Amino acid sequence: MRRWILLLGCIICMIHTQAQTAGYKAVQDAATFKQQFAKASQATQSIQCDFVQEKNLSMLSDKIISKGKFWFRKDNKVKMEYLTPSYYLLVMNGRDIKTKDGQKESHVSTKGNKLFEQINKITVDCVQGNVLNNTDFKTTILENAQNYLLELTPVNKALSQYFKSIHLLVDKKDYSVSTIQMYETGGDDTSISFLHKQLNITIPDAVFAVK
Amino acid sequence: MRYLLLSSLLLITGCTSVYKGLQPATGDVHCIEQFRPRFANTLYSTQVDVLKHHLSGLLFFKQMPDSSLRVVFANEMGFKFFDFEFTKEGGFVKHYMLPEMDKKAVVKTLRGDFELALLRPDLQQATIKRDSLYQYIVVPAAKGNNYYITDTMCTQLMHIEKSSRRKPVVKAWLSNYKAGIPDSIEIRHQQFKFNISLQRVQK
Repeated sequence: MRRWILLLGCIICMIHTQAQTAGYKAVQDAATFKQQFAKASQATQSIQCDFVQEKNLSMLSDKIISKGKFWFRKDNKVKMEYLTPSYYLLVMNGRDIKTKDGQKESHVSTKGNKLFEQINKITVDCVQGNVLNNTDFKTTILENAQNYLLELTPVNKALSQYFKSIHLLVDKKDYSVSTIQMYETGGDDTSISFLHKQLNITIPDAVFAVK
Repeated sequence: MRYLLLSSLLLITGCTSVYKGLQPATGDVHCIEQFRPRFANTLYSTQVDVLKHHLSGLLFFKQMPDSSLRVVFANEMGFKFFDFEFTKEGGFVKHYMLPEMDKKAVVKTLRGDFELALLRPDLQQATIKRDSLYQYIVVPAAKGNNYYITDTMCTQLMHIEKSSRRKPVVKAWLSNYKAGIPDSIEIRHQQFKFNISLQRVQK
């Protein structure tokens, strides 16, 4: 469950990202990028989109593809609903978290839990465009003609146990994250691409109900 | 005196094997090989309940070119819990285990559970027993026996029991076979809460 939430925190960052290092070079004007990225994040009140997740199992030369729907609303409401190959629901509403699989529904509160609070911080930093200032990661900003690439390398021991790095690809047109790639220490990686994004539409409270 | 008798009776019945009534029988122990799952590239929606903990995700079986079988369990977001290899010769390799779960007892238990469901027993020492309803292929194990329980004609696998000398400690059900692959696999420990439930999904 904690790892789930940890990943979720990172995914919020993805709401504005995508990545591949080849063909990228160091960003020329990092200060401007940071300013624009924060500005775009602050202007994003809500996001509704589809997602495609691809889990690459390097040693097995195989992959598992999952698809579903994603919702985000400021300040800290997130919902991910996996529809294929199996159903899974994750709702994060402030300090309350709900998960639901084929057999069980669970409720967790982050209140008083240091790790969850840390994850909440990552989440909020991403949403508010402050992820680049998050001390849990060392960040490198790259760019090509179309995108910015944020390479986040964990310096936090808990995070670095699981991730070698996390890449966020940010579209230069609107500074939104289109894909996130999480590279595991064991060699596998998982990418999540956000498709058919609808920004700043009205999303009712009921979507994020956790009770 | 009455209490002594009662205690003795309880002690005697408590030590009696639930398999005591089985009668030796003849037949082909190899008939259970027909129930061995023919995993090639198979995905299951999976829930694991261990004591108060609940894990869910996708469990992937892949037959490798060297005839070994890889079993990978990851949560829905792709976060890997474990990656095991069961070799053609009956060996076992732990390629990855989430550090928080990487305890000798946990790995040993999971290994034993999956070996039961993979249905690859060494049948050299196996014998056959029966009761009025079922046939039991009995395979000696380190601390008891594994019982592969079928109908009397060995046309249907009822379930599998890993037992101590007296009673089952793990039960496994493989059901609704399609093209040699069960749609559902359930593994339940009898002495503490450790249940694994798999439902096949399309990859």
